[in-house]
Amino acid sequence: MHAGAWPRLAGAIALLLMLGFVPVRAAGSQVEYNRDVRPILSENCFACHGFDEASRKADLRLDVAETAAADRGGYAAIVAGDSAASEVWRRVASDDPSEVMPPADSHRALTPEQKSILKQWIDQGATYAKHWAFIPPIKNEPPQVADASWPRNEIDRFVLAKLEAQGLKPSTEASRQMLIRRLSFDMTGLPPSAEEVEAFVADDRPDAYERLVDRFLASPHFGERMALEWLDAARYADTNGFSIDGGRHMWLWRDWVINAFNENIPYDQFLVEQLAGDLLPNRTDAQIIASGFQRNNMVTHEGGTIPEENLANYNADRVKTFGEAVLGLTLGCAQCHDHKYDPLTQREYYQLFAYFNTLSDVGLDGNAGVNPRPFFEAKTVLSANEAPALREQISQLREQLQQPAPAEVEQWIAEQQEALAARGRDLELFPAEVLKVSTPNAGSGFDVEAGRFVIISGAGGLVAYDVALRLPSTDRPITGVRIVFHPDAAAPGGGWGFGSLPTPDLTATADKGTFVVTSFSASAESVTGDQVNLNLLRDVRKATASSWRADYRPEGVLDTGLSGWSPQISHGGPVHLTLTFAEPINAQETPFLTAQVNFGVNAPLVAKRFEFLAVTGEDDGSDLPAEMMAIIEKPASERADYERQALTHYFADHAPATERRRVALANLEERLRVLTEKFPTMVMDEAEQPRETFILERGNYAAPTDKISPGAPAALPPLPADAPANRLGLAQWIVAPNHPLTSRVAVNRCWQMLFGAGILKTTADFGAQGEWPSHPELLDWLAVDFVESGWNVKSLLRKIVTSATYRQTSAANDELLERDPSNRLLARGPRFRLPAEFIRDAVLKSSGLLVDRLGGPSVNPYTPGDLWREISHYGSSPATSQAFMQDHGEKLYRRSLYTYWKRTVPPPNMVAFDAPNRETCTVQRASTTTPLQALVLLNDVQFVEASRALAERMIKAGDNDALRLRWGFEECTSRPPTDEELVILAAALGRERHRYASVHSAAQAYLATGESERNEQLAPVEHAAWSQVAAMMMNLSEAVTRN
Amino acid sequence: MHPTEDFARQLTRRTFLSGAAGTLGGAALGSLLAAQSRQLAAATHGMASGSLGLPHFAPKAKRVLCLFQSEGFSHVDLFDYKSTLAQFHGREMPASVKGDQRLTGMTSGQAAFPVVAPLWPGRRCGAQGTWMSDLLPHMQTIADELCIIKSMHTEAINHDPAITYMNTGNQQPGYASMGAWVSYGLGSANDNLPTFIAMVSQGSGKNPGQPIFSRLWGSGFLPSSHQGVGLRPGANPVLYLQDPPGTTREQRRDMLDDLAQLNHLRARELGDPETLSRINAYEMAFRMQTSVPELTDTSDESPATLASYGPEVAKAGSYAANCLLARRLLERDVRFVQLFHRGWDQHIAIAKQLPNQCKDVDQPTAALIKDLRQRGLLEDTLVVFATEFGRTVFSQGALGDPGMGRDHHGRCFTVWLAGDGVKPGMEYGRTDDFCYNIVENPVHLRDLHATILHCLGIDHARFTYKFRGLDAKLTGVEEAHVVQGILAQP
Repeated sequence: MHAGAWPRLAGAIALLLMLGFVPVRAAGSQVEYNRDVRPILSENCFACHGFDEASRKADLRLDVAETAAADRGGYAAIVAGDSAASEVWRRVASDDPSEVMPPADSHRALTPEQKSILKQWIDQGATYAKHWAFIPPIKNEPPQVADASWPRNEIDRFVLAKLEAQGLKPSTEASRQMLIRRLSFDMTGLPPSAEEVEAFVADDRPDAYERLVDRFLASPHFGERMALEWLDAARYADTNGFSIDGGRHMWLWRDWVINAFNENIPYDQFLVEQLAGDLLPNRTDAQIIASGFQRNNMVTHEGGTIPEENLANYNADRVKTFGEAVLGLTLGCAQCHDHKYDPLTQREYYQLFAYFNTLSDVGLDGNAGVNPRPFFEAKTVLSANEAPALREQISQLREQLQQPAPAEVEQWIAEQQEALAARGRDLELFPAEVLKVSTPNAGSGFDVEAGRFVIISGAGGLVAYDVALRLPSTDRPITGVRIVFHPDAAAPGGGWGFGSLPTPDLTATADKGTFVVTSFSASAESVTGDQVNLNLLRDVRKATASSWRADYRPEGVLDTGLSGWSPQISHGGPVHLTLTFAEPINAQETPFLTAQVNFGVNAPLVAKRFEFLAVTGEDDGSDLPAEMMAIIEKPASERADYERQALTHYFADHAPATERRRVALANLEERLRVLTEKFPTMVMDEAEQPRETFILERGNYAAPTDKISPGAPAALPPLPADAPANRLGLAQWIVAPNHPLTSRVAVNRCWQMLFGAGILKTTADFGAQGEWPSHPELLDWLAVDFVESGWNVKSLLRKIVTSATYRQTSAANDELLERDPSNRLLARGPRFRLPAEFIRDAVLKSSGLLVDRLGGPSVNPYTPGDLWREISHYGSSPATSQAFMQDHGEKLYRRSLYTYWKRTVPPPNMVAFDAPNRETCTVQRASTTTPLQALVLLNDVQFVEASRALAERMIKAGDNDALRLRWGFEECTSRPPTDEELVILAAALGRERHRYASVHSAAQAYLATGESERNEQLAPVEHAAWSQVAAMMMNLSEAVTRN
Repeated sequence: MHPTEDFARQLTRRTFLSGAAGTLGGAALGSLLAAQSRQLAAATHGMASGSLGLPHFAPKAKRVLCLFQSEGFSHVDLFDYKSTLAQFHGREMPASVKGDQRLTGMTSGQAAFPVVAPLWPGRRCGAQGTWMSDLLPHMQTIADELCIIKSMHTEAINHDPAITYMNTGNQQPGYASMGAWVSYGLGSANDNLPTFIAMVSQGSGKNPGQPIFSRLWGSGFLPSSHQGVGLRPGANPVLYLQDPPGTTREQRRDMLDDLAQLNHLRARELGDPETLSRINAYEMAFRMQTSVPELTDTSDESPATLASYGPEVAKAGSYAANCLLARRLLERDVRFVQLFHRGWDQHIAIAKQLPNQCKDVDQPTAALIKDLRQRGLLEDTLVVFATEFGRTVFSQGALGDPGMGRDHHGRCFTVWLAGDGVKPGMEYGRTDDFCYNIVENPVHLRDLHATILHCLGIDHARFTYKFRGLDAKLTGVEEAHVVQGILAQP
C-alpha cells in the first residue's frame, strides 16, 4: 500500500468504529423469518408479547403464529398476506404516540428498514419458523463456487460462495511468517522462535503447512492453550471469591482439562465427565476430578450469611454456567420468571436447577485453606515421566548445596565474624510509649499498663494486635524494634503466653505457657495511627531472638509462609525478638511507629505481657544458634572436622548465598510431590439426603412454591429414554447426536478462538436474542461433521486451520475495511490482539526465561506491592491468600495460566489486558487498548527483566548488530525487519549505547531488575543498551498482535 | 473515553504526525485527518445503540465523588435521631416493629433484642436544624450543604452481596460498577488521567475491616477500559507508573517516538487501525507518568488547606489524604472518583470502635465539602456519602457488655448527597421511632443510582448495554425512580 492510501484508510477506520456488520438483504427478495424478522420481534416485541406469561401485555402473543393470527374480536394482530389488515402493522406504522408500537416508554423504536421488513414479511404470508438453533443441524452439501481453484476444503466453499454473492474476492494466502505465527499462537499460545520461522519459510515440501499443523497439535502446549478458553468458561480460580476470598485447591481439575485436550478426549466425553464423572459406572479418579467443573463456582464463609441463600446462589451459578458454556443459552434469565425471549419457562429452569441441587455442599464452607466440601484426594492426571529426571536433579542439587565451594563458605564465615564483632556496637535501647492497642475482632481482652506494657487478658480466636507507639525523642537513628516478652504469673505455669506447643521430640507438652509470633509489620509516620499503615510498611532486614525453638526460628516472622518464632521453653525470664529495619527511622521526622504483631493461628498461642524497645546502634543478637556462634568465633585452625562440617551444613541451609539453590531445590521437590502424591480437589457428589428442588418465586430462596424434579426443557429434544434422573442423564442428553445446541456451541467457540469472533457472534447466546450467524450453513456443516468425527476436537481444528479461509493474509485493503470492517465475510485473515496470558508467555519465551512445565499448583510471580492485604481480612481470619507472597525461582517464569487467580484482586498485569476476574462464566473476552497496558509492558518487573534476558540472547545470536537486531525482531514479531525498520532499530541502539556509556550506574540499575541471574560476562553498558532495544521490540503493536 | 473524542484527540497528537512525517507532509495529513474526524464525530451520534451519545439531557453535574463508607455505618447513632428511642433503651424491641423479616446469622439466634439508644449525644445544626451526632462535629458544620436521605433500603443484609449491590446494582458478581457505567456513558473529560479512579483506606474502627473486592470498581460486562484505576501512595500511585530503574524520561520519549514510527510503518502495510489507538494509548501512558505524580504531590497546598483536612492528611493512604487527592482529581476533571473507607462494621465494641471510625472521616469529609464549595467545584460535582446498609437498633451481644455492637440492617439506612443537582440542607424520607422501618418516601438503592445518573444528564432507563441478550442497566431489571423530591429546581 502506498502512502497516499493512508487517509482513505482512516476513513475506513471511522466506518469500522461506527458500524457493526449487518447482513445485507437484497430489496424485494424473500424475507426469512429466522434471519430477518425474529431479531426485530425479539428485540422490540417479545418482552411484552412473547413467551413470558407473567409480563405479557394485552393478552397478545406474537412469537407463535396461531396466537398472532387469532381473532381478537373482528381483527387480528397479524393477517397473513395482508399488512393493511394487520393490527401489528397499523400500530407499528402509526404516528400517534398513544398507538405506536413499540410504545414510547419502552425506549425502543423501529427503523424504517425494520418496518419495511415486517410489512414485507406479513405481505409475503407471515411464515413463522422454529428458532433455527433449536432445530438439529443438517450437513448440507457445500455450495458450488465459481472459483473452484481457491477452496482447500468444504469450509472454503461456504465462505467463497458468500463472497462471490457479494462480489468480493478472498485475500491472498498469508506469508509463511504470518502463517506460522498465527498457527503457533492459535495452537499453543506461544510464538514461534526465530529459528522455527526460518525453518518453515525454507520448508519447500508441499505439505509443509500441514506438517506444521500436526506438530503444533501434538505439542503439550496445545492443551494449555485450549484449557485457557475453558478455564474462562468454567470460571476457574484459586480462591473462593466471595467475601474473605480465601484460598482453595482446584489445580488438579485444571490439569485434568489440559490433559483432556492433549489426549484429545472426545468432546462428548469431556462434557460427560465434567458434568457427571462422579456418577459414571466404574468411575476413575480422573473422572471424579473432572466433576470439579461445577464446583468452580464462588463460595462464601461470610459469617452471618444464610446457608440456604448461598446454596441457591451457587446452584444458580451452575445453571448459568451450564447454559452459557455448554448450551449457548442464557438460562439464567429464567431464574425469576419465564424467559422473555426463548421458550424456557421458570419451571423448566428449576428442572435444570434440580440436577445440580443434589450435591452435599454446604452453605458456609471453605475457610482456612480447606476446600469447601465435597472434596477428595487424588494424584494428578498429568504424566509423571518427569519424575526420574527430577529425582536426578534433586539429588544433584542437594549434593551441590551440601558441597559449597570452600571460598564461598569462607567468605560467609568472614561476614558472620564481622557481624558478630559488630553485634551490640553502640547499642542503646529506649522504651517506646504504648499509645493504644487494638485488635480487629474484639473490643476488650487487652490493655496498656503504665504506657509501656501490652497486657493480654483474653485472646480471641484470631490474633493480630496493632500497637501504636511513640518513639523516644532521640536524634539517634532507630535501627530496629525489640519486643520483650515477660513471664507473668497469670499465664499458665508462670510462662510468657497462653499456649503450649508439643516438644519437638513429642515426648511431652510443657506446662509452661508459651506463644508464637507468626508475623510482624510496622510503619512509621509523623502522625499517630491506630493501625499499621499498609502503604508505608518498613522492610525488615533481619530478625534475631534471645532464644528459639529449632522449628520456630526468628526469621520465621519475616515470611508468613514459615511457622513463626517461638522461644526455647527452657529459657527463664524475659525473652525477646529483635527486628532490624532495612532503613533506619528518624524519630524526629516520624515519631509514631505502629506495629502489627500476629500470633499463632489457632489461638491461644498469644503472649501475655510484652513491651517494645526502640533499638539504636547494632542489635546485640544473632540469628546464629549458640553452638554455631562458638564455632565461627574460633580461629579456623582450631575448628575440628565435625565443626567445619556443621558450618558447611549451616551455610547450605541458611546462608543468603545458598538461597537461590535452596529455592530451586524446594521448587523441584514440590514438583516431584505434585507428580507423585495425592492432593485435595473439589468434586461433585450426590448427598445422602439430597436437597429437594422447588420453584423459587422471583428467584428468592425463601419463597419456594412447587416441588420440581429434574427434566429437559420442552423446546429441546426429550431426554434419552433410558437417561437416569440425575446429572448423568443430563450429560447424556446434551451429547445425544441430535441435540441441536451442544455441537454448534462447541464449534462456534473454536471458530471464535481462531477468528476472533464466532460464526455466531453471541457465543453465549444461541437464543432469539443471539445474532444471526454470518455463515449458518457452515456452522451447521461443522457441527454435524464434528459429531460424525466422534467429537474430535483436534480434527475439527485441523479442518479449520487448513482451510484457505484461515490461511488468508490479514492485511486489509481500503475496500475491505470499508465494506466489512469487522471481517464478518472473511474475505481476509483474522487479526486480533493477543490474550493477556499469551502476551506475557510470548515475552517469557523470547527471553528464554519461560519454564514450560505443565500443570501443578498455581504460582505467584511478581506483583507490585501487596494488593491482597489492602483489601483482605489479613490478621483477622484463618483464611489463606490474605497477604501476597511472591514466589521465587522457576515459579516466576511459568506460563500465565498457572498464575494464582485471586478473584477479588486478580493479577493486575493480566487484568490490564482484559483477562476476566473469573467470578462468573466468560466465553468472550473483551479486547481493549488502554494506557495501563502500555505501563505494564514498559514497566512491569516481569517485562523489564525479560527485556534484559532477551538482550542477552540477542547478543549471543550473532556477531554483528544487524544480525542480532534481526534475530531479536523476529523473535518478537515472527518476521525479519525491513531495511527501513532496521535503520530505526539500529539508530535506537546507537542512542542507547551512547546514553549508557555516559551513565554506567543507570545501566547497572536497569540490569538489576528481576531475580534471574545475569550473564556477568556482558559489559553492563552494552547489555543495558540492548535491553532497551529489546523492550522496544516487545512493545511493538505487532508483538502483541496475532496477524 | 468517548470514541469520537478519543479519535479526535489521537489525530492531533504530536507523535502521530511525527510518526507519519517520514511519508507525508505533516500539515496535509493533519487537515485530511481533521476532516475525517469531523465526519466521524457527526456519524457517531447517529449510532444505533445511542448509549454513548450521552448525556441525554442537560446535566447538573459533570463529575461524581462517591465517599463510600464500607461495611455499613450506624444510621441509628449518627444521623437518624429519634427522641423517643431513649425511653426504650434496654427494652425488648416491640414485635410489631421487628416483624418477621430476616436477620443475619449473627443475631438470628439471640434470645433477646434489647433496644440501644444512640450511645452519644448529638445536636441540631444548620438552618434546617439537622440532627447529627457529636461524633461528627465537623460534619455538623456543613449540615446546610447536605441532602440527607434517611429512607434508603436494600434487600441484602450481608457485606458481600450488599456492597456489591450498592456499587454494581446487583448482589451477584459480574455486573459493572457505578463508575464504570459513568465512564461508559460520558467518557473522559480530561487528557491525562483515567476516567474513573478508586482509592481505598483502612478504618480505625475495625482493622482489618471486612474485605472488599476489585469488582466494586470493576467493569463487569462492560469493556475493561471502563474499570476504576486504583490510586495509592508511594512511588507507583498507579500500578506500573514508574519507569524502570536506569531509564530517564528523555530515553522513554525517544523510545516511544521510535515505537510510533515502527508501528506506523507496519500499520500502513497491514491496514491495521488498532495500531493507531495503541499509539495513542502509549502517549496517554506517557502523559500519565507526569500528570499522576503532579496530582499526588500536594506540596503546593497551603498550610491552611492541609490543616483543614486534619492531621491525618499527612498520613499516606489515609481517608483524609484520599479526600485531598479527591479534590485534586476533581479539579483535573476526573469523571468519577470513589473512596472506599473500610472499618464501619461495628458488631463488636461499638462504644470503642465507632468514635475512632468517625474521627477518621469527620474532619476530612467536612473539609472536602468546604474546599469544593470554595473552589466552585461543588457547582458541577455530585458528592455521594454512602454505605451498603445500616445497623440494627437492637444490640448484638448483651446490653451493657463492652463487646456489644450492632448488626447489619438493610431495611433502612442513611446516605447523604451534596453538590449540584440536589437540594442542600434537606432531609428526605422517614423511618419509624426505632429507625427500623421506613414510614415515608422509601428510596431503594436503585432509585439512588437512577438519581445519580439523572444529575449527570442520563436517563437510567435508556442507559443500556447489550449483554447476554438483555439491555443491561445499572438500575437492573426492577423498576427504579429518580428521587424527584431531592432534585434541585432548575
